[in-house]
Amino acid sequence: MKDSEYWNPILETLPREKLRLLQLKKFKEIFTWAYERSKFYGKLYKDAGIEPGDIKKFEDIKKVPKMEKSMMRSVQGPGKDNFPYGDILCVPLEQVTDYRQTSGTTGQPVYQADTWQDWELSTEAYCYAMWAQGYRPSDRIFLPFGYNIFIAFWAYHYAGEKIGCEVIPGGVLNTEARILKIQELKATAMGATPTYILGMAETARKMGIDPPKDLLIRRITVAGEPGGSIPATRKRMEDAWGAKVYDQVGSTEIGHWGWQCTRQAGLHVNEGMYLVEIEDVNTGEIIEEPGRRGKMVVTTFGRMAQPCIRFDVKDVIQWNARQCDCGRTYRLLDGGVLGRADDITKVKGVLLSPMAIEEVVRSIPQLGNEYQVVVTKKGDIDDITLKVEILPDFKKDEAAIKAKLTDQLRLTTNLGYNIEFHEYESLPRSQAKTRRFLDQRPHH
Amino acid sequence: MAQQYDIKAMVTKIKALRTDAESLKEISGGIPAVIKNADRILANVRMLEINISDVAEVQGK
Repeated sequence: MKDSEYWNPILETLPREKLRLLQLKKFKEIFTWAYERSKFYGKLYKDAGIEPGDIKKFEDIKKVPKMEKSMMRSVQGPGKDNFPYGDILCVPLEQVTDYRQTSGTTGQPVYQADTWQDWELSTEAYCYAMWAQGYRPSDRIFLPFGYNIFIAFWAYHYAGEKIGCEVIPGGVLNTEARILKIQELKATAMGATPTYILGMAETARKMGIDPPKDLLIRRITVAGEPGGSIPATRKRMEDAWGAKVYDQVGSTEIGHWGWQCTRQAGLHVNEGMYLVEIEDVNTGEIIEEPGRRGKMVVTTFGRMAQPCIRFDVKDVIQWNARQCDCGRTYRLLDGGVLGRADDITKVKGVLLSPMAIEEVVRSIPQLGNEYQVVVTKKGDIDDITLKVEILPDFKKDEAAIKAKLTDQLRLTTNLGYNIEFHEYESLPRSQAKTRRFLDQRPHH
Repeated sequence: MAQQYDIKAMVTKIKALRTDAESLKEISGGIPAVIKNADRILANVRMLEINISDVAEVQGK
């Protein structure tokens, strides 16, 4: 059988007007399902005076109330129906086969229920991503992640198997043992967070192993942090491993809704399985034109146990005007997820996105991979400190690097920073999502 | 490229797979090994419907 560039050419190259019809059909199906079977959704929609028959055309979708994380939390947990999922659940508890939860860093975690069919759906969505990134049955994939209650790379594992790759679970091994296993088994691909990918390369070099020369990893999927869509961070990862690095985005509540293909031209939205809307933060208007930023509102089609309908994710995104050369009709996002609406904050009266700082820091080769931004208030004035690590060989160039960093940050973000140089490898490192932006102002 | 596959024929086969798996469950006499394996088949049938049958519907095929 001839190798196909697409996991499913029928869906991925569907003309856009047909794709929109498909999205409307699937939206109606999941809306009706949740309206009829979930007390949570039923009440939300009845209170808003909307019912399935009101969704007649695509434009009617925006009339459906949005849902957000705090609403899910409020119906879940001890003492609530269908413990721990709450009355958001649309199937009997006996049909739930898979439990996952969010990290809970901002409060009580969200508990996510899936039936086996739902889990197949998550896996299927990830197959689209991995096939588009060039994964084939000849790949031997290494997974350096802790298999646990978090969604992380679980679907990458199952999708790898479904595609026919050989999957090596590198669960409880430490970083050194993982690197040795990658070398021993001649693994060709892996998936991890950008922070861990960079950290692994540092560890390998300390072990006397040069990843591009001594290892065979040639394809890496990153997720969990925005680094895969930040050019300077992606270049660091690609140089460190001698591999192509592709971004993949998703979450526990949504599933795996977007990915870069081998063209790396932007982040494709899997529009056959998800509806992604961009909403103007101030007016609530749905943004269709490219280049205008807004908040992502997403619907997962066909996830039956715990549906995700018009979920206000608070991620900031914008459409790309380009059509990808790969031939898929799925739209591209420009620059991936541009940040969290919660993180993009006013500092000294200027809107600041932490990702803009990352792009500058990681474009300066004399600096290490880690950094931290701390915003405080001195009297009535906001104060920003940027902590960076200087590589040992460049300590003598501190003044010149500081001047370059100051200039580039001023150009990119229109703000001034106190720059602190720290010893290489002294800033906090994590295998999971790393929080590098700390807003310590009162009321933040 | 569309000429390389017959969507209509695929839709027919997918329908048959669903019917067969569902009737297998009905005649299983409650044998867990039959019911649970048929359920797994049906989950994959749903993926085929998502990939092919649902798309065929909006294409009018």
